[in-house]
Amino acid sequence: MESELNRLREEALSALAEITDSTGLEPFRVRYLGRKGGSLTTVMRKLAEVPKEERPRLGALANSVKKEITSLFEKKKQELADARDAGPAVGNLDRSLPGRYLPAGKLHPVTQVMEEICSIFEGLGFAIAEGPDVETDHYNFEALNIPKHHPARDMHDTFYVSDSILLRTHTSPMQARIMENQEPPLRYIAPGKVYRCDSDITHTPMFVQVEGFLVDRQVSFADLKGVLTSFLRRMFSKDLAVRFRPSFFPFTEPSAEVDIGCVICGGKGCRVCKRTGWIEILGSGLIDPEVMKMVGYDPDEYSGFAFGLGVERIAMLKYGIDDIRLYYENDLRFLSQF
Amino acid sequence: MNFTLSWLSTFVSVDDITPEQLADKLTMLGLEVEAVTPLYQGIDQIVTAKVLSVGKHPNADRLTLCQVDTGEETVQIVCGAPNVREGLTTALARPGTRLPDGMKIKKAKVRGEQSLGMLCSARELGLSEDHSGIMELDESLAAGIPLTRALELEDTMIEVDLTPNRPDCASVLGIAREVAGFTGQSLRMPVSEAPPLDSDKADFSVTIEDPSLCPRYAARRLTNVTIAPSPWWLQRQLLAVGMRPINNIVDITNFVMLEYGQPLHAFDFTKIREGKIVVRCPKDDETEFETLDGTSRELKPDMLMICDSMGPVAVAGVMGGLHSEVTEGTTEVLLESACFDPVSIRRTARRLNLPSEASYRFERGVDPEISPVAMERAVQLMIELAGATVCEGGVDEYPGRRESLTLNLRPARVCSLLGMELSPRQIGDYLESIGFTVTDNGKEGLEVVVPSFRPDVEREIDLVEEIARLVGYNDIPTTMPLIRMDYPVRDELRELRKEVCSVCTGQGFFEAINYSFVDERHLDRIGLDRDDYRRRLTRLLNPLTEEQAVMRSMLLPGLLENVCRNINYQQPDLRLFEVGKVFFQHGRDEQPEERYQLCAVCTGARYPGAAPIYFSGQQADFFDIKGLVTALVESLHITGKEQALEFVVTKQEQPYVAPATGLSLVDGNNEIARIGQVSDEALRGMGIKQPVYFLECDLQDLGELPRVRKQFVPIPKYPMVKRDIALLVPEQVPAGELLRAVKGQRTELVESVDMFDVYSGKPIESGMKSVALSVTYRSPKKTLDDVTVDKIHEKIVQYLMTEFGGRYREGTE
Repeated sequence: MESELNRLREEALSALAEITDSTGLEPFRVRYLGRKGGSLTTVMRKLAEVPKEERPRLGALANSVKKEITSLFEKKKQELADARDAGPAVGNLDRSLPGRYLPAGKLHPVTQVMEEICSIFEGLGFAIAEGPDVETDHYNFEALNIPKHHPARDMHDTFYVSDSILLRTHTSPMQARIMENQEPPLRYIAPGKVYRCDSDITHTPMFVQVEGFLVDRQVSFADLKGVLTSFLRRMFSKDLAVRFRPSFFPFTEPSAEVDIGCVICGGKGCRVCKRTGWIEILGSGLIDPEVMKMVGYDPDEYSGFAFGLGVERIAMLKYGIDDIRLYYENDLRFLSQF
Repeated sequence: MNFTLSWLSTFVSVDDITPEQLADKLTMLGLEVEAVTPLYQGIDQIVTAKVLSVGKHPNADRLTLCQVDTGEETVQIVCGAPNVREGLTTALARPGTRLPDGMKIKKAKVRGEQSLGMLCSARELGLSEDHSGIMELDESLAAGIPLTRALELEDTMIEVDLTPNRPDCASVLGIAREVAGFTGQSLRMPVSEAPPLDSDKADFSVTIEDPSLCPRYAARRLTNVTIAPSPWWLQRQLLAVGMRPINNIVDITNFVMLEYGQPLHAFDFTKIREGKIVVRCPKDDETEFETLDGTSRELKPDMLMICDSMGPVAVAGVMGGLHSEVTEGTTEVLLESACFDPVSIRRTARRLNLPSEASYRFERGVDPEISPVAMERAVQLMIELAGATVCEGGVDEYPGRRESLTLNLRPARVCSLLGMELSPRQIGDYLESIGFTVTDNGKEGLEVVVPSFRPDVEREIDLVEEIARLVGYNDIPTTMPLIRMDYPVRDELRELRKEVCSVCTGQGFFEAINYSFVDERHLDRIGLDRDDYRRRLTRLLNPLTEEQAVMRSMLLPGLLENVCRNINYQQPDLRLFEVGKVFFQHGRDEQPEERYQLCAVCTGARYPGAAPIYFSGQQADFFDIKGLVTALVESLHITGKEQALEFVVTKQEQPYVAPATGLSLVDGNNEIARIGQVSDEALRGMGIKQPVYFLECDLQDLGELPRVRKQFVPIPKYPMVKRDIALLVPEQVPAGELLRAVKGQRTELVESVDMFDVYSGKPIESGMKSVALSVTYRSPKKTLDDVTVDKIHEKIVQYLMTEFGGRYREGTE
C-alpha cells in the first residue's frame, strides 16, 4: 500500500504539471480526489484492510499525500485563474497594445483661451463681471460717449432688436454699468459674446471679447502700457515685442491700438501680419472724461484705463488656426485638437 | 484716404525719407497706413518708340506695317491703330513684356507678316480709359527710354485708414501738415489769382435758411468753360487714388476735394433758375428728386437740399442733381464750396443709402475756413485747364462763423495722465508743430488756440492726446499702477459654470459653442407648440439670414445641428455639451430675460475615442446621460432645499422627447434637470437617423440649490457584512423602487445597498424579472454577528416580497 500511495503521488503530480488550462482541472479532481472513485479515495478505503499496527503510519502517510495533492491542485487552480485574469502568460505580455482609459472631453478653444486671459487678470487683482448680451442703446453707445449719428457708429455694425435695444457690439457697456454702481478703486474684466452684422472670411457675426478697466487716482497712460505689456507677455512669451500706436475710440482718450510682434513669422513679415511684422491685438486707452462724468466721477480726481480684446484672434495666434469660421461649427475634428 | 508721394510733395518735401519710413511714421502718429504701393509696376518694361514709316499690310486692309525705332534697332511691327503715323512717338511693348492685364507680348506673325512687339494705347497700359488709338507722346522724347520715366510716373501710392476723429487728414493738405510737423518744414500752398470774393458784384444770390445746417456757403460763377478731358498730370493723380477721370470740370472738383478736404460741386449755371441758390429743406410737395446717377430719390422733410428759385438742384453735401449736372455742352459753371452740418449730412446719406466721398468728409467735419481757399484753388485750375473766365465777385455767406476755440491746458495734468515729465515749453512746442497757437500763462497753464481744421479737438483731454501721439506712445514710460490691494469678488454663476464644464469634460463630453441667434424654424422641427414659453422669442430687426434671425430660447436644437453635421463628416460617436445663454422676450422694447443653461447630448458609441479593443460594441443609451446628471449632483455636492434631489418620471412630457423616456431631477416640485431620448420626429426634423439622448438644465436654478456641507464622519472601526438578495418581482415594478425601499428601512445597520443585476427572459417566467441587490450591513459599535445580520436581512427580504409581490428566485436560497 505504501508503494501504491507513492506511485499514485508521483502520477498525480506529473498529471497536475501537465495541466495548462482550466478545462483540465475538473477531470483531474474527479480522477484523483473525487469522493466516489477517485484514486486516492479508493486507496484510502483500503486502509481498513491493513494490519492494525500499520494503520496509524499509513493513515498519516495517505493523509499527507492527499493534503499535498489537494494543496497543489488548489495552487494550480489559482495560477490558472490568475493567468486568465492577467491575459497572456507571463513573459508573453504584448506591451504594444493600447492603454485602457476613458477619454475626457475638452473645453472649446475659445473657452480655454478666455479662461487663460481671465486668470492672468485675476492674478493682477481684477474681478470678473458679466452683463447682458441684449443691451440698451444707452449702455452700448450713449454712456460710452457715442451719441446717435456719431460716425463712430460706423465702426459697429449693429444688430437691432428695437430702436433702443440691440445686441451688444462690445463688452464695454460693463464699464458704465459697474462704474455707475461702485466707487474707485476698480479693477474689472468683463468677458462675453458680442455681435456685429458682418460675416466673411475674417469675421463671424458673433465673437467673444474681454473688456477690462482700472480706475483709481493717478492712473496714467504709462500704467496702461505696463499692465497690457505684462498681460501680453504672460499670454504669448516673455520677450514678446509690444508697441502702442494712436487710434480712436469715442470712450477713451488718448486711445491706443496695441500691436505685438508677429508670432507666426517672428516679425519677418508674412501673410498673417500683412508683411508688416506686427499684429493688431487689442484696443485701449485712458477712459474719456465724458464717460467718467456720465457715471458721476470727477475726472480731475480719478483717471483710469480700459481695453478690449478679441478672444478668437488670440486663439488663432496661439494655436495657428487660419479660418475663423471653424470656431462655431463644432466639428469634433476641430474641438478635439485643443 | 489715398494719396501719392508726388502729390504730397507739392505741399511738403519728402525727399529725405523713404516711403516705408514715411508710412511707419504716419502709422505711429495715428494715421494707420494700410498699404504702400509702388505705382505703374505693371508697365516698367514699356519703352518709348518712334514710328519711322507706315506701310500697307499686304493681307489686311485695317492693319499697317510700321518700321519702328526702339532706341536700339529698327523693327517691323504690325499695328491696327487709326492714329499711327510717321514721326509719332508712342509706347512700345517688346516681345517678352507682360501688359498690366496679364497678356504676354510675343514675336508673332500677323496675317503672315512679322511683328516684333506691340504699340499700346493708354488703356492697354492701365493709364487711362482712352482706347481711341495708340499713345501720343511728346515728340521731344527719345526712343528706348522707360515710359514710366518719360511720363514721370515713378511714384508711390499710400493708403491711410483714417479714424473718424481726423477729418482734417481726409486731404493731401492734412497729411502734409502732419508731415511738416515732424519734419519741421512749413507748407507750400498753391496760389490763386482769382479776383476778390465780393458779393456786391455777384450776379447770382445765395440764401441760407437755417445757418445751423449750413454754416458757410461760398460760390463763384465761371464762363467760357470748355469741357474737355483733363490733362494727364491731373488724370493720373485721380487714377492713382482710384478715382475715374470724367472731364476737366468734374475732375478739378474731385482733385481739389482730395487736396483740401473740401467737397466742391459744379452746377451748370444755365440750369440754375433765376440765378438763385437757396439752401433749405424740401417743401411738402417736393418729395422726389433725380440725382445725377439717374436714380429717383425719395425726399424727407429734414433733408438739406440746394435749391434754385423753383426747387431742388442737389442733395446738399451728398450728390448733385441730374438736371443741373455739368455736361459736354456746359459753358457756364456755378462752383459751390460749402460747409454743412455733419449730423444732417450723415442722416441724409444713410437714408438715401448714398455714401460718397463728399458725404464722408461732411459727416466728419469740414473746416469752414477752407471753403473759399479750396474754391479759389479750383477756380485757378478751371482757368488754366478749362479756359474758363471767372466772373467778378462771388458769394461767401458765412452765418455760422465761430470764434477760434481757446483751451486751457494744465501741464501738470498732462504729466500726470501720461505718467512722464514734460516742461510747459516742450508741450507748447509739440502743439505748435501741428498748427496750434500756444501762450504760456504761467501758473494758470497754457492757453491753446485750436486751429479750425481740427474740429475733433474740443477739450483739454484732446490736447493731451495730441501731445501723447507727438511724443510717441512708445517713448512714454511703461509702469505698473499702484493700487490698494483688494480681493476680487467672484461671480458665483461663473464659478458654477466652470465646475459644470469640468464635470462634463471629465465625463467625456466636448464643449460646443453655437451662435446665440438661430433659425426660428428649429422650434417647429422639434415640434414645439405654438404657445410654448420658448416661443417668446427675441427677434432681430436686421438679421444677416433667416437662419440667424431670433435669439435662441433653448440650446438643444443647436447641439442637434452639430450632431447632424458631425455625422455627415463621418463622426457618429459624440458626446457634446454647451453652456450658454437662452433668451425669453417678455415685453416689447425691453431687454429679454437671459438665463444660462446647460445642454448635453450623447449618441453613437458609448465611449467615443476609447480604444475599441476594450470598449467596442457598446452604444450610448439613456443611462449614459442619466449618469452625467448623477456625476453633476455628486461632483457639485448639491442637494435639495428641503429634501434630497430625486429622479422622477417627467410629468409633462416635452414634445421632442420619445414616449416614456423622459426623466426629471427634481427638488420637491421644482424640475432641476431633464433628460430623455430625443423623439424620432424631432430627430427627423433635424436630419439625424440615430438615437440621441439629451440633458437640459437651467444653471441659475442649479446654482440656487444648497451645497452639501462637507463634514467628516469617523472611518468605521468594525467590519461590514454583505448579504445578497435575488428576488423575482413583476416586470412593471421599477427596480429602483426596491433600492429606495431598502434605503428607506429604518435601521442604522444598513450602510448601503447596490443593485447588481436585473434580468428578464428565459428561464424566468414571463411577466416577472429578477432583481439582485447587495446590502451592506455595519454597526458603528461592534462586529456584527451572523444571527443579528440574518435577522435584519430576513426582515428586509420579507418586506420587499410583500411590498412588491416578489418571491425568491429558484435556485437561490
